[in-house]
Amino acid sequence: MTPAQEETMDLALITKPTRSRRKKRAGAAPVHIGGGNDGVAIIGDTNGTAYLFGASEDARMPAEEVYNRIGNLTRVLHDALRELGYDKDLAATREHLPDARDRLAYIARVTGAAAEKVLNAVDHARSVQGELVQQAASLCSRWQAVRTYTAGQAVQDRATPAGRKLVDETCEFFAGLDGQADRTQAILTDIMMAQDFHDLTGQVIRKVVALAQSMEEQLLRLLIQTTPPDQRRRVADEGLAGPVVSAKEREDVVTDQAQVDDLLASLGF
Amino acid sequence: MSTDARFLIVDDFSTMRRIVRNLLKEIGFSNAEEAEDGQIALNMLKATKFDFVVSDINMPNMNGFELLKNMRADDSLKGIPVLMVTAEAKKEDIVAAAQGGASGYIVKPFTKATLEEKVQKIMQKATA
Repeated sequence: MTPAQEETMDLALITKPTRSRRKKRAGAAPVHIGGGNDGVAIIGDTNGTAYLFGASEDARMPAEEVYNRIGNLTRVLHDALRELGYDKDLAATREHLPDARDRLAYIARVTGAAAEKVLNAVDHARSVQGELVQQAASLCSRWQAVRTYTAGQAVQDRATPAGRKLVDETCEFFAGLDGQADRTQAILTDIMMAQDFHDLTGQVIRKVVALAQSMEEQLLRLLIQTTPPDQRRRVADEGLAGPVVSAKEREDVVTDQAQVDDLLASLGF
Repeated sequence: MSTDARFLIVDDFSTMRRIVRNLLKEIGFSNAEEAEDGQIALNMLKATKFDFVVSDINMPNMNGFELLKNMRADDSLKGIPVLMVTAEAKKEDIVAAAQGGASGYIVKPFTKATLEEKVQKIMQKATA
């Protein structure tokens, strides 16, 4: 039996009762030993077998020994990962995390740009709307003058009923334009407010990215510890499928249409 | 406080700064500046006179709570109303903001009516 196997056995006794022991314990309520109400975290079963349940200041096992055992457990985990081949899965997971991070950052960037584009469009629409309202106000006053004129006795014989009706309707249209402009402004405000999704989703994405980064660091540490020194080299990046989410420091991708055109030109297109 | 009141909008998301700025303009306050985080905001507040601060909470470098704390500890800034506009909807955050001296608290997403109501209310209180 190797020292690691011995340690595994030892830890199994401490952290996880064997099947036969579990069977024995079935129906037997766990009992505290070592002081009753003093919060001791060592639990025993009725046949007197003790195992560590959690840490406590009053626990009989000294803190140093607990740390040693945690250290041993970590080493056993490392060995087990390597022996079972999970180190490769770990490496693959670790390699996928930066990709996942970049993709999330890409989503945040693209949605942010889309939100800005919508806000620009809203601003532009407001400006156009403002100009229309201004021009309409100017025309409205002039058409009101025409209305007054056509209603006067002097032109009764020259202004046809259809002409007078057209003037009236035109004046009413201009008069109602302010209300319509207000409604359009309210719609534009709604469109603008809807862009706050970028702030809300962006905050969530930031948290997830930070979490992924932390996980990546932890996995990398674990990976380095579980990988034999002669195999500690990074597997070459095989590139990303779909849109390029992080073109930074990459020479194998283009970042804009000009580069596409240059590339095509260099190929004779 | 008149419609000439000078606002400082503090948020790390440019989209949100822009939305708040446009809303304030619609409400009638077109005099507004922007800051990306609490530290930049604090520097701006110390350099120029502002009448009202609309601040996010979750920001890099200096968050909204720290900005509020710094403002309330500074004699020249402690009188400026601070309206928190944030996605942090935890009660403890709202309580912390109130205890820290915030003048109001709006949870994102919000409406124009909510912002208008809070701003008007805070302004009335400030001028009373």
